[in-house]
Amino acid sequence: MAKKIFIQLAFILFLLTSCQTKSDKEFTVWIGGAPQEIDFWQKLIDDYNRQSGNNAILVRQPTYTDQRRQSLIISLEAKQPNPDLFLMDVVWIDQFAKSNWLEPLNKYIERDNYSTDNFFGRVINSVDKFEGNIYALPVFMDIGLLYYRKDLLKKYGFSAPPQTWKQLVDEAVLIQKKERERNKNFNGFVWQGAQYEGLICNFLEFITSHGGSVMNNGKIWSNTPANVEALKFMHDLLYKYKISPPNTFTEIKEEEVRRSFQNGNALFERNWTYAWNQHQSSGSSVKGKIGIAQLPHKEGFGSTSALGGWHVGMSEYSDVKNEAWDFIKFITSFKTQEKLLLNVGWNPGRKDVYHDSVLLNQIPRLKILYEVFNHSVSRPVIPYYAQVSEAMQRYVNNCLANKISPADALKELQKQINKVTAIYEEH
Amino acid sequence: MKSIKNIFSNNETCSAYLFNLPTIISALVFIFLPVIGTLITSLFRDVTYLPGKFLWFSNYERLFADPHFWQSVNFTLLFVIVSVVLELFFGLIFALVLNEAIPGRGFLRIAILVPWAIPVAISARVWQLIYHFDYGLLNFIFMKLGISNTHINWLGSSSGAFISIVISDVWKTTPFMTIILLAGLSTIPRVLYKQAEIDGTNFLQRFFRITFPLLKPVIVVALLFRTIDAIRIFDLIYVLTGGGPGGSTTSISLYAYNYFVSGDFGYGSAVSVIVFILAAMLALLYIRFGRFGEVIK
Amino acid sequence: MREESWIKLLKFLGSAFLLIFCLSPFVWMLLISFSSQPDFLSANVKLIPTFNNYVQILLNSSVHILDYLKNSIIVALVSAFFTTFFAGLSAYAITRLRFPGRILIPLLLLGFSMFPQISIVGYLFKLLTAVGWINTYYALIFPYITLGLPLALWIMLSYFSRVSLELDKAALIDGATRFQILQKIIFPISLPGLLSTFILIFIYSFNEFLFALMFTIDYNARTIPIGIALFEGFYGQIPWGYTMAAAVIAVVPVILLIAFFQKYIIQGLTEGAVKG
Repeated sequence: MAKKIFIQLAFILFLLTSCQTKSDKEFTVWIGGAPQEIDFWQKLIDDYNRQSGNNAILVRQPTYTDQRRQSLIISLEAKQPNPDLFLMDVVWIDQFAKSNWLEPLNKYIERDNYSTDNFFGRVINSVDKFEGNIYALPVFMDIGLLYYRKDLLKKYGFSAPPQTWKQLVDEAVLIQKKERERNKNFNGFVWQGAQYEGLICNFLEFITSHGGSVMNNGKIWSNTPANVEALKFMHDLLYKYKISPPNTFTEIKEEEVRRSFQNGNALFERNWTYAWNQHQSSGSSVKGKIGIAQLPHKEGFGSTSALGGWHVGMSEYSDVKNEAWDFIKFITSFKTQEKLLLNVGWNPGRKDVYHDSVLLNQIPRLKILYEVFNHSVSRPVIPYYAQVSEAMQRYVNNCLANKISPADALKELQKQINKVTAIYEEH
Repeated sequence: MKSIKNIFSNNETCSAYLFNLPTIISALVFIFLPVIGTLITSLFRDVTYLPGKFLWFSNYERLFADPHFWQSVNFTLLFVIVSVVLELFFGLIFALVLNEAIPGRGFLRIAILVPWAIPVAISARVWQLIYHFDYGLLNFIFMKLGISNTHINWLGSSSGAFISIVISDVWKTTPFMTIILLAGLSTIPRVLYKQAEIDGTNFLQRFFRITFPLLKPVIVVALLFRTIDAIRIFDLIYVLTGGGPGGSTTSISLYAYNYFVSGDFGYGSAVSVIVFILAAMLALLYIRFGRFGEVIK
Repeated sequence: MREESWIKLLKFLGSAFLLIFCLSPFVWMLLISFSSQPDFLSANVKLIPTFNNYVQILLNSSVHILDYLKNSIIVALVSAFFTTFFAGLSAYAITRLRFPGRILIPLLLLGFSMFPQISIVGYLFKLLTAVGWINTYYALIFPYITLGLPLALWIMLSYFSRVSLELDKAALIDGATRFQILQKIIFPISLPGLLSTFILIFIYSFNEFLFALMFTIDYNARTIPIGIALFEGFYGQIPWGYTMAAAVIAVVPVILLIAFFQKYIIQGLTEGAVKG
């Protein structure tokens, strides 16, 4: 009797759990984005499946970058055959490659004579390569830009966006003073200062455009005179020139900055490329009044912009690698990249799209973007980047909160980074 | 087949263990073994991209030296105290209301189960929308009632995020508190109230002289359950704030989880062990406290 | 007389507050799920009712909302069934038989139930990886059974201890086995207890988050709380209409459960906490 019931139960369990199946020739692709972007990806993938006879399945990645990374780490650490392909943020690739989770793409590239010259060499070399192998290819490139109010600059007699940080400060101080008479919420320059990853991108832009850097011979080096000067400048934006909102360090992220600029409450804005379409959408109070430019730099140095974006990689544990490679070729092709640019505004990872004369006519800002991409700087490429970034966020943010001086912040940060390095460097 | 039958029918001890076998095995495999495993892992370097290495207690040393860890401990304890006290307060009010014979009591009882039964992850999403900076319900109400003349960044500032988490958690768990307290209230004999009424007491006096003292043991149990549950808070924060802004609302569970999913299992395990010790200490404290109360009585 | 009316007013205010407190977020969720514009409060847009959000998330193949719901229901049903059954077996032995460990087992389980889930999730992940169960129902069902057992056992103990031992004795004389007694006599008598346990464990399993987040990967096993928690968007832009429509679909099963079984749920919670 007991036995019979147990057999019945086991049978029910088996029936219920055997609903899970997976057929071959089928592979899953993890892609994240806003709803209309995903809808467009679904269309692309439907087209691909019709052409190729493969069965690619789109799975949506979570909203937040951290959650995306975490769900990838879970599936890769569990050696799951799914997902076969996924988009990675530029700063994850090193950890993933070093954990042996990514399939090196070299043999496929050589086999098919696939040209990688069409991509930005600067980008491929700094983030997609690890120990001589290529592990990922750019699908969507993102970069920090200076958005400015054309109408206001013109109103106060400036013909072009600022080239140097000094010009930016001078213009912002003047215009903010005048504009505040009408609009007390007006700010000269808004950027991302909350304690999160975006702060590191801003920080990196400030220090590299002051001649500083974070990486030196493979070592992370924060405490240099140029870096201190840059951090002091960031601090000054809040407390000396007072052209950035006083709450910059508590809650200002991309969306806060975008909203403020879009509502007409800011003269200059540092943001990613996605803000352009939002600012130019109907209902935006700055529609048609804005321009984009490279971020300013200190006199005597060059402009730099932090590199962001999403690169496609293949799982080491994928069971349909040839089909997966075929899909990588598809999404990095000129045609697909062009479609992504035109339909959802994803900046192509390929150089040739930026040189296409028809596209240039249609989207003039491609020219500026191409310039900016050639001056991109990437965040440190190390497997324990997440831990280093956390320490950087804390000290840079504390300095912006006026809790610690710029020099002391970077001195303490260096100590903290040395500790992290000691834990996660192999020895 | 026959021997099995014999065991089932004759030998009491044997059949008792057979009956308990599924329970014992699942507890051993899915709780006991992982706990031991976590303890052991916490002594190792267990990082996805590095070879394993025995470290003795350096994961723990690192833990105690990390200000983020202490921030998460402080946050968690503050959250537990504030939210459990508020839940007790509202739970008591609701239980007193539901204990009365009022029209529509059945519907009220269903209503009170709604927050409890909806998955936290889902209600957290609803709350996220309610706290939304631009078009959230809360900012709308605050502006309309004139409580605030600008939009409040509920989830973007550390104090706002703390308040938001507490409100959502109180909403979610007050029903549990209510139901437990309601069960306690129903055991208090009505005669006591009738007698007190005849003696000419008002209802506040009746509450403090009869209800509260008799309800005390139940309150202690409810507090014990809620505290142990609150100290492991994870899902609400994961969805509502993700631990931000700037890590200010990272609970200990979330802190440990973040290390697991960034690929550092050794350190994550060390944090997990500390969470466990913390929960055990609080439980012991309550049990002591509860008995203490009984002895005095 | 004056106090009487005061109390009446207080009762009314209390009930009204209770209703608003408990239901307003739920109502808000419903409202947004049927509106074309989630930002109708701030912008100068009118609230236009629409089914579009539902249509979109149900028809769009990459959303997988129905897969998540199916996974959740299967996992919760199977977990609730086995938890109740196993707890019933244990509770029977503990209330009816004398054996060393009779007191220890329920106490140990109670102790285990105080374990924070985070303190086992990391190693459990490694175990489940080793047996290849990540992203399958097994990865959730077995841990859920274990998590549910302490509560289930305490509820069952309080029900079984109320059933007279004379019934067992009479059946034993008639030649019934212990298992037959449990199956034919004790279970039917304690049916309300079984039902309470089943529903409570179902709801707990349906709502569980941390394990489901870490042990499942995609629509093959992912449950609905995770699906909704990780709904897509870029730079914090969340598709509120879709999310709320998905949320409504997800809570329908639990709302139905509490509407029909309110009495059993309250009984179960009470037995598990107060008497246990």
